[in-house]
Amino acid sequence: MGDFLIVFMAISHPIQTFPFFQCGPTAEADSLAILHLKRDLLIPAVLRSQDDLNEGYDEGKVTNTRFGSFPHSTLIGTRWGSQVRASAVDTGSRGRKGWEGKGKKGQKRKRDGQGQEESQAEKKAKTEDRNREENNRSAEIGEQDTGVGPKAAVEAASGFVHLLPPTPEIWTASLPHRTQVVYTPDYSYILHRLRARPGTVLIEAGAGSGSFTHAAARAVYNGTTSAEKMESESTGLPSKGHGKVYSFEFHEQRAQKLKEELSEHGLDGLVELTYRDICQDGFPPSSTPPSSIAANAIFLDLPAPWLALKHLTRSNLSSPLDSTTSIHLCTFSPCIEQVQRTISTLRQLGWLEIEMVEIAAKRIEVRRERVGLQEEGLRGVNDSPASVDEALTRLREVEGRSRVFHEESALDGKGEEITGSPATGGAQVSKQQRLENIKNALEGRKLYKEGRLVHKPEPELKTHTSYLVFAILPREWTEEDEITAQQQWPAKLELNEQNTGPMSKRQRKKEAKAKAGGNKASENAEESSKPDPT
Amino acid sequence: MRTNRKIIDDPNSQIMTMEEIEEMKAQNTGSGKDLVAKILESHSALDQKTAFALAKYTLRKTKKYLKRFTVLPLDVSTLARWMFVEKEPMKIMEMREEILALIGSWSNVYCTPSAPLPPASEETMKGGGRWLVIDETAGLLVAYMAEKMGILHPPDQDDRQMEKDTVSNQSPEAVNEERIQEDLRPNNSNTPSQHNPRPRKSSTPATTNTITLVHAKEQPNLSLLKYFHFDAFNPSASHPLESHLKMLSWLQLLAPEDDSGYIEPELASEEVLQSWKSGKRSNYFRKRRRWERIKLIVDDTRAGGFDGLIVASVMNPVSILQHTVPLLRGAAQVVVYSPTVEPLVELADYYSTGRRTAFVQNPLDTEAMPREDFPLNPTLLLAPTIQTARCRNWQVLPGRTHPLMTGRGGSEEYVFTATRVLPAEGKVEARGKFKRRKVEVDGTTRSSSSLVETPAKAESDLMETDEL
Repeated sequence: MGDFLIVFMAISHPIQTFPFFQCGPTAEADSLAILHLKRDLLIPAVLRSQDDLNEGYDEGKVTNTRFGSFPHSTLIGTRWGSQVRASAVDTGSRGRKGWEGKGKKGQKRKRDGQGQEESQAEKKAKTEDRNREENNRSAEIGEQDTGVGPKAAVEAASGFVHLLPPTPEIWTASLPHRTQVVYTPDYSYILHRLRARPGTVLIEAGAGSGSFTHAAARAVYNGTTSAEKMESESTGLPSKGHGKVYSFEFHEQRAQKLKEELSEHGLDGLVELTYRDICQDGFPPSSTPPSSIAANAIFLDLPAPWLALKHLTRSNLSSPLDSTTSIHLCTFSPCIEQVQRTISTLRQLGWLEIEMVEIAAKRIEVRRERVGLQEEGLRGVNDSPASVDEALTRLREVEGRSRVFHEESALDGKGEEITGSPATGGAQVSKQQRLENIKNALEGRKLYKEGRLVHKPEPELKTHTSYLVFAILPREWTEEDEITAQQQWPAKLELNEQNTGPMSKRQRKKEAKAKAGGNKASENAEESSKPDPT
Repeated sequence: MRTNRKIIDDPNSQIMTMEEIEEMKAQNTGSGKDLVAKILESHSALDQKTAFALAKYTLRKTKKYLKRFTVLPLDVSTLARWMFVEKEPMKIMEMREEILALIGSWSNVYCTPSAPLPPASEETMKGGGRWLVIDETAGLLVAYMAEKMGILHPPDQDDRQMEKDTVSNQSPEAVNEERIQEDLRPNNSNTPSQHNPRPRKSSTPATTNTITLVHAKEQPNLSLLKYFHFDAFNPSASHPLESHLKMLSWLQLLAPEDDSGYIEPELASEEVLQSWKSGKRSNYFRKRRRWERIKLIVDDTRAGGFDGLIVASVMNPVSILQHTVPLLRGAAQVVVYSPTVEPLVELADYYSTGRRTAFVQNPLDTEAMPREDFPLNPTLLLAPTIQTARCRNWQVLPGRTHPLMTGRGGSEEYVFTATRVLPAEGKVEARGKFKRRKVEVDGTTRSSSSLVETPAKAESDLMETDEL
């Protein structure tokens, strides 16, 4: 299926010049779109003008969601960001038209149903007859001539989504998880520290689900399309200054899946994904000689990043590093033991400014908290008294009622039925009456501006994602560079003094004495000048 | 196990006094090496130190008296850290690096190549990499965005780097000569020298990959851009920001007729021009050009269609969003930074589900906005979210790994993000919840319906009022 998709893309869009984050004014066919249902419920869909998989919908390709069905014909050509109404799509009867996957699909539908689908069906009941008629008609037509185009979509009574173009942030929130994902707060900080900017060449090892890959691609992109690159190659000009992401993944299926996604997202010229275990086999990607990678930034999301570091040295002949710039590195490891091993290896290999940090991110929920007796019986509120005064009033009320009750029962001797009767004074109402009043008053209230405006972190908190280790490898500095720099900016040369190690006056005196005295004394002096091993 | 049991706790083991050290410092012209040597010499208990303690002591004294530094290329990340840690965090609204990075990601800012463009068919939905920025961090935000768009560092820097790489074998004189020529070239071709009486001719503002800055005072405060060779008052024509950064005041944006810069200077005929003295004539052309540029920028900004809005301002965000959200294209990202949460909480409340529902229920004309209950049109932004991130630094040493003991307090710093959307015409009914009314009337069905109601909270609220 994946191969098929790629072939299809290649035919319909031989040159896809724009990577996915750079969207035009409207949603185009064969582009990735995100159906925004709720903030954390985003459905990615590649818009198709034709139903290639022949799923049997009258409207052509359809994406079904919790909030209704959306034929792609209603999405293609729509301005990005638009609110799109659901369409009345017959999802139930298409099996009758001999669609192969009927049994499987039917099962899934039942599982997903959860009552919503049922209620949806209920809502549709009114229009069902009409729909069926139409279906039958179109089915007949379909039998006669398969070349007839899809039916025009009919607006449903309710349901909508917002049509959004993908961004790395949206993609991170909606992508199919194959591994642990690098989330936005982490990858934004990492890219910031890696100095990933237009023109940077970045190596990513451990592509995983591709969330970092997409964000990195956006960061390094500087308008270099593959066509341009070919041109520059043919003219013999160096292709330096073109941002690129070299991505590596050692899991074959994951690599394959991500490759398809990158291709669908128009990132082919920008990201070069290679299926390779870089810890074992080093960095050179298959189609590029290693020396031409010349990376300035490295991101390692690997189980054992220290194993990859030996391939990232200046001395290594097949080094993928840019020799004229300093190299910024980040490793992403969840465990402190991994961090310790990584850092110890980094120190051995001459990396500088080694730093380890942790990013704690949280989302803040804003809501109006309604507290008070006027909320009694309502949902999502706290119906205890809002203030001491309110509590007092209510307590007095209750007190008064019980007093009346006791007085009356004392008067009546052996208690008669009085609980149902209206209380004395006329001010007191039954609980049922009170709840009824509150409910009736609800309609006139502007709940959205009532109560106290409060904020708090959202209940689901990511308390730990991973430890980020940053390090810098300074640029290569040869004798020639030193001479050139010396000639350009002449400076006083510093004399290399012989280092004898620090010694205090007392020590020197002792030593001098020892030299003057016999062997025994000198031994003593040596001993005393030797640093204490404890 | 090593403990501090045997530590020598004597502050008098260093014989040299502060005065002596200061005196030596004053005399010393060298690098401070001899001072460090002298200090070590005068330590009376140096021989009692362990190897580790001695190394540590030497290192500490070296760090203190031997002033050495590495020259690093300046970029926004370094500048932000320096401003925040060393200089004046208040000047950049206490913006931490991790928050800056968060703003960069959520604003979806990227570099738009200058050559090929996506077809901008509709005038109101322009696109093409145009961002609207309100920056009161002395230009840090603008610099950060510009860096991400590839228009912060003048291109000749890279060229020089390249040139240096290729010609390193040549004699230094040749390199220097080329350098000098390179330095002069842009000046000769684009900007007249200081002595030239002709007014500086600015290039036409770019149409793509641009930052449009709206400022609250007559002149924007972009003082930090000086570190990137950009002077907002007298930009050099070779700097990419000169054409890619457009600046206008709130007055010019909201009521251009009231701004003298927007009013067209009288057009003089050719004969009249000839009769003028050269000074008057050049003054006339300068005024014309200034007006042309202002008009171009103002009209372009008012036409809208921006790809994103990024705000870091001390002004009330509600008042900013009132005027700027309508200028955004569909799916544009909105990012508002605030050092404290309160302004953003207020903002989020104006976009709350409840308020949006009430707004949708009572269709009013958008012309009448803002109203007391709806200072902002709550249907224009999707998924408003407040978030924050904080970086915690660790010390990693063998056997001594722990988070750093101290950090910086102050503002917690928050970012509000949302997406500009285009609400559908007419009434739209949400789906996702159907038995709510029944639930409240009939207590027995409560449990069965809870399944339905939890997953679609946002929409359920819509339904609630739909049915009222």
